[in-house]
Amino acid sequence: MAELTLDRRLNADQARVFAFISQPDHLATWWGPEGMHCPDHTLDFTKTGPWHSVMQNKEGQKYKVSGQVTAVDPPNSVAFTWAWHDENDKRGDESHVTLSLTGNRDGTTTLRLRHVQLKTEDAAASHEAGWSSSLNKLETLANQ
Amino acid sequence: MEINAIPQTFAALGDPTRFAIVERLLDQGELPAGALLDVAPISAPAISRHLKVLRQSGLVQQRIDAQRRLYSVDPEILAGVAAWIDYHRKFWEQSLDRLERALATES
Repeated sequence: MAELTLDRRLNADQARVFAFISQPDHLATWWGPEGMHCPDHTLDFTKTGPWHSVMQNKEGQKYKVSGQVTAVDPPNSVAFTWAWHDENDKRGDESHVTLSLTGNRDGTTTLRLRHVQLKTEDAAASHEAGWSSSLNKLETLANQ
Repeated sequence: MEINAIPQTFAALGDPTRFAIVERLLDQGELPAGALLDVAPISAPAISRHLKVLRQSGLVQQRIDAQRRLYSVDPEILAGVAAWIDYHRKFWEQSLDRLERALATES
């Protein structure tokens, strides 16, 4: 129902970028917006299985997101499901994220991020109260 | 909802006829089925099938007025879709900014 695609040209070779989008230590260095830290997470995109992340802003507000790593194809791509948890830790509808890498001849790497939400219910809900208010706060923080 | 946000929003629908139907409904508001027949060079039953898919997706709603069926885009869904894209775009743009910096500084 909703789809987002972002492309970035990164100044590193494909193997290095893949390490940064898959290995736990590296993921922790960039995951989430500026100003958030990650007190609790299982972020490992080197293998399939569950993942989760709890991000916390300076005011102590927490945002939890979780899913399953569904596919890992080194050094080309990782794919995982994605769902936010509301204030009652109830998980919303799932969307799907794919990070795909293409090595360029000049030694840089193009990363394509694609995030797809297939259900309209979740799209409608994201405009309503409940966990969407968490996303509103997330947006406010991201705008600072 | 801005017209130029449509491609990303409806990419998941993946069909140019459905895209054209939604674009016309956004542009002109509520329309009867007859006013949608020329969005594409396909038969009326084919247009009906596309409308059915759009209604099943929740994006288009139908109102029955005497013998007419009137179609419009569901504004709640649109607003929700726009919000979803906006939130997640910000999340990822910021994360990717941080990834760029991490690649430059971390070993």
